[in-house]
Amino acid sequence: MSLQQLAHPRHDYSYAFLDEFAKRELRRRILKAIAIPGYQVPYASRELPMARGWGTGGLQVTLAAVGPTDTVKVIDQGADDSVNAANLRRFIARMAGVQTTTDVLAATIIQSRHRIPEERLREGQLLVLQVPVPEPLTHVEPSVTRARQMHADADYALIWLELHEQLVRYRTFTGGADYPVVVHGRYLMAPSPIPRWDTPMLHQAAHLTLLSAGREKRLYAVPPYTDVRPIEFEDVHFQVENQAGRVCAQTGAINRFMNEVPQPDGSSRYILSDTGYAAKLVQRAQGEGVEIGATYYDDQGRFYHTGFLHHDD
Amino acid sequence: MITPQLTAFEAQSQQTFQALMWALSYPGRAQRIAEVGVAAFAAVGATLIDLETSYYTNHAGLVQLLAHSGARALGPQHAHYQFYPDLPSTALDDLALAPVGTYLDPDSSATLVLSCHLGAGERLRLSGPGIPAPFMVNLGGLPPGFWELRTNVCQFPLGWDIFFIAHDQLIGLPRTTKVEVL
Repeated sequence: MSLQQLAHPRHDYSYAFLDEFAKRELRRRILKAIAIPGYQVPYASRELPMARGWGTGGLQVTLAAVGPTDTVKVIDQGADDSVNAANLRRFIARMAGVQTTTDVLAATIIQSRHRIPEERLREGQLLVLQVPVPEPLTHVEPSVTRARQMHADADYALIWLELHEQLVRYRTFTGGADYPVVVHGRYLMAPSPIPRWDTPMLHQAAHLTLLSAGREKRLYAVPPYTDVRPIEFEDVHFQVENQAGRVCAQTGAINRFMNEVPQPDGSSRYILSDTGYAAKLVQRAQGEGVEIGATYYDDQGRFYHTGFLHHDD
Repeated sequence: MITPQLTAFEAQSQQTFQALMWALSYPGRAQRIAEVGVAAFAAVGATLIDLETSYYTNHAGLVQLLAHSGARALGPQHAHYQFYPDLPSTALDDLALAPVGTYLDPDSSATLVLSCHLGAGERLRLSGPGIPAPFMVNLGGLPPGFWELRTNVCQFPLGWDIFFIAHDQLIGLPRTTKVEVL
């Protein structure tokens, strides 16, 4: 045996940037996360050539999973073209030699900051969500050690009390993005700061979701076809953001998640938050043949799992 | 800049991991792996274990292959990754010792890689996360009493996560999967 046989050819970087030790560790953690839905698995969180808090958690999961045949889409609050998304996409493409896309139907891995695409993901697609604060109990229990014990005991009394106090004080649930959910009837989970509009998309989904916080060194998963229920009371229900009356100024779409664009006269215009979906609507309006997938919400604002969302009036 | 290339070892690890990840995500659905038989067990080992982990195997040939990883060889009551290319009925005593994790650290449980016969043996109905409608599968070659033992051990969030290998087929069975023997 010669040195030539033992050593691989010299490269400037390992494939997908991370060395094999780092990838093996991440892969072990990812498998445990899938096996224990909603449980936060600690991991090492290696250094990357970008600052923690800029998507390094999601990036490490993507780099651990990606292979040369994958097609990657990266979005930041729905947009393919924001600085953060563009940088992450370019880095992944350079380090892994993958195709990139803005079309969610063409992607095998979708890394996202704080949005889930409007078009339904399918089986075999991997959604990677970047997470700033993985611990849903942070607001009610600042001690990480005690919060871990509460997860171990499934003792979520404080979060229910918080929910009740919101009702008493404000007559409504005040949680916005990052609305806590219970996964597989056991673990309370922070779904990352996706709007409430996106929260139901995790319930009984066809795709696999991995959530990863690089700064907090925790990753967790929602496997496909798993119950994900936002916390709510029997008589006061979780509500998504009301999009009624909002029409996309660019595409004319309704009942999708919209960005509000303030106007000089004090009024507002709205445009679709999901730019990949918006681009396809524009292409279709121009007569180009483009495949648009079924969406989670229909044009009447009805969610595709009937009966999951309740409407209190 | 030239895009970094996968070495042969990295390519095998990446493909094996994809198979493991999707096998665990959709329990019961067979994924293909490139290797066959004991080599398949070695490929799973090379993908998952290194000097940060521990392993146990009852197969003399596999010990040689897994020892290269640098992982610690421990007994079945401590090892986090356990490989059983042979499953005699006495293996059940070893399996019964495998760690199931704790409520604080349910991820400190054992991952078992077991051989099986696919399409023969007991008829099972699987349900749980990753399974949209109850999934039927025939799995044989397991020691008698195995499913009873697993049912007793897998009290969510505790339990084992299992990968079954039959020839070049890989089936995942996370602790969340409910198994009914028909």
